[in-house]
Amino acid sequence: MIIACLRPQTGWVFTQAASGLEALERLSLKRFDVVVLDLNMPDIGGYEVIEFIRGQDKLRELPILVVTTRGDESSRTRALAAGATRFMTKPFAPEALLGEVRALVADGRPEAPP
Amino acid sequence: MSNGFDSAHFLAGFIAEAEDHLAATNANLLSIEAAAAKGQPTPRQVRELFRSLHTIKGLAAMVGIEPIVEVAHAMEAVLREADRAAGQLPRGAVELLLKGTRAIEQRVQALSKRKAVSPAPAALVSALAALRQSNAQASGAAASTSLPPELWSRLGAAEREQLVQGISAGRRAWLLRFVPTPARAAAGFNITAIRERLGTVAEVVKVVPQSVAATDDAPGGLAFALVILTDAADALVAEAGAVAPEELTAISLEETPAALEEGGPDDDAVDDPRHRGTVRVEVARLDDALEKLTALVVTQFRLGRATAALRAQGTDVRALAQVLAENGRQLRDLRASIMRARMVSVSELLERVPLVVRGLSQATGKSAHLEVAAGKAELDKAVAERIFPAIIHLVRNAVDHALEPPAERAAAGKPEVGAITVTCFERGGNQLELTIRDDGRGVDAVGVARRAGAPLPTSDEALLDLLTRPGLSTKTEVTTTSGRGVGMDVVKRIAVDELGGELAMRTTPGRGTAFTLRIPLSITIVDAFSFLCGGETFVVPVATVEEIQEVDLDRTVRGPDRRRTPRGESDRRRGTRGTDMIQRRGEAVPVLRLDEIFGLASPDTSHRKAIVVRRNGEPYAFAVDRMLGQQEVVVRPLEDRLVRVPGISGTTDLGDGRPTLVLDLIALGSKLMAESVTGAGA
Repeated sequence: MIIACLRPQTGWVFTQAASGLEALERLSLKRFDVVVLDLNMPDIGGYEVIEFIRGQDKLRELPILVVTTRGDESSRTRALAAGATRFMTKPFAPEALLGEVRALVADGRPEAPP
Repeated sequence: MSNGFDSAHFLAGFIAEAEDHLAATNANLLSIEAAAAKGQPTPRQVRELFRSLHTIKGLAAMVGIEPIVEVAHAMEAVLREADRAAGQLPRGAVELLLKGTRAIEQRVQALSKRKAVSPAPAALVSALAALRQSNAQASGAAASTSLPPELWSRLGAAEREQLVQGISAGRRAWLLRFVPTPARAAAGFNITAIRERLGTVAEVVKVVPQSVAATDDAPGGLAFALVILTDAADALVAEAGAVAPEELTAISLEETPAALEEGGPDDDAVDDPRHRGTVRVEVARLDDALEKLTALVVTQFRLGRATAALRAQGTDVRALAQVLAENGRQLRDLRASIMRARMVSVSELLERVPLVVRGLSQATGKSAHLEVAAGKAELDKAVAERIFPAIIHLVRNAVDHALEPPAERAAAGKPEVGAITVTCFERGGNQLELTIRDDGRGVDAVGVARRAGAPLPTSDEALLDLLTRPGLSTKTEVTTTSGRGVGMDVVKRIAVDELGGELAMRTTPGRGTAFTLRIPLSITIVDAFSFLCGGETFVVPVATVEEIQEVDLDRTVRGPDRRRTPRGESDRRRGTRGTDMIQRRGEAVPVLRLDEIFGLASPDTSHRKAIVVRRNGEPYAFAVDRMLGQQEVVVRPLEDRLVRVPGISGTTDLGDGRPTLVLDLIALGSKLMAESVTGAGA
């Protein structure tokens, strides 16, 4: 939700998924530059989504930013072990998230969008 | 990530949500303990517990309360393993988990009082960790199904159980696949939609994403395997799943025990927003809405008066009266809606009672079986909060004083386990009746009379009066558990004086005692009679009035002198005389004169009305000058302790902008009678 509100400021194209499964479905059908993922989702869990993404050849390099209320060290370790690229704890300032996403997109591609 | 984030803003939300989850945790733990005693497995409760603690942990981490995170984490780890072991908890786990819950509760309470949160109890955390090691070996074999192992292994213990039980119960289980394509996505067929469609005809047990080779049919290289349980026809299921009927694969049971694959619970599905059809609202906001509605009700009443005035002048007001009636109905509906929003379920209110009984049984060495039957009854939040301590006190008393030790019970030919029941139902007249019953030794009337220094009471009512005398229970019944906390006098004060309800008791020596609380479901707006007395207008709630009858004061019977006014001035006007009595269906009913009680000028008239009320079965009549009408009034309680007067429950506005006293005739009657009795004995 919050993330979708950032669209006008960034010019990026966002796709929202209602659940972890739907996220996997959308990722399978279209190319994305970055995934912003919550760990708490209906149906399957965040770690499972990350592991599944990493198990797909074409998604192996896709940057995944985990955004969660779980600030404890074990959640962070587990998310990173599963294959998350970065880990952020809610709540956060919108600029902080934008900064992270920008950095991840820039890492993945030579020319970052404006 | 701090970002200047001030956690204080989130604390209130955290406390409220944590309390909810803690209540659920306690309830689930007790239900697990009860099931374990009968040797029944409890996978669902273990799973729910796990979710509650997982959420508490996440929330506590968010607001930075590390001690809670630590305890919740240790508990969660025990439950995760229990979930993998098909819901089997190691011995002694419930005890430790209850302690853990208590530790979290204490810290949440400290937070709500803005006190420092003590660190996590190290002994408890390590005891919980030790539990996990002992549990690690205990993993049972379970029935398996014809599901391919790669799918079976992805099911959590609870999902496996759900599937196996469903098939055993005769439902059909299907495996079907959904392969997303851009065309399907464009047509709105995505996994969320398929899941929802299937949800209308079947129970979706699990959806597993699977990698497949990318082909023209599966361009994304992804397929979803859906495991469902259903009673619906195959064609319906196939249609809902957007597949041909032959693409449904039946799942059957296999007798071989399942190998212990690594397949954890999907422990992240904690915050499913679709399971939350509720919104938290501060009570203050509802009160605000109610306050605005109050203004509307008053305006409506003024409209009614204005209309009546027009009619009196000969104007045709039929159309207006119709609109007014419709408006009145709508206001009542709106009021009902707001009041419903303020209602809390009595079952939820009573969730903590089992915990109290459990704690007490342990402390006293008595065994007690508690049964709570609250049904669907609901209670206004404000009433619920007030009455709860009274309920707890009565339950405490039941375990602590009423129930005999097991040996004594056995000697008396009773079952060793004492029975305590808490029942409640909605009566007519906006009242809830709550009964706390035990099968213990009964109230010792002789002992109570001796301690109160009073003659032996001859009825349960008289005995209850003694029991509820201030100071009686606290002075002499000091035990580890009931010596502190509220006494019976406080129970009475809450139920009778504060809430305008009733407290009754039935006790039989050797057989048990039942306390009955009758309390209003809500205390804000009541249907009331208005009447004139001594030139003043008063209102009295309809629910408290048994009857209104004509009375001719000159034809009343004089009874013995039992009555004095609160001011002690009754003798001033008429000299010494006894209470007036009227005949009512062969029963002599004492008549109290409101005008004298309130020291009002009494007009010289002998034709009056009497409002008859009944307290604990005993009728009283209050003589008034004239009845004015009946309407809904908004009672504003007299909050100020200094101006609180027994017999006056608050004020209301009848539309004339002046406060009108709302009388509690039952309380007034009992106060006057009590005073006259004390006065006579002095």
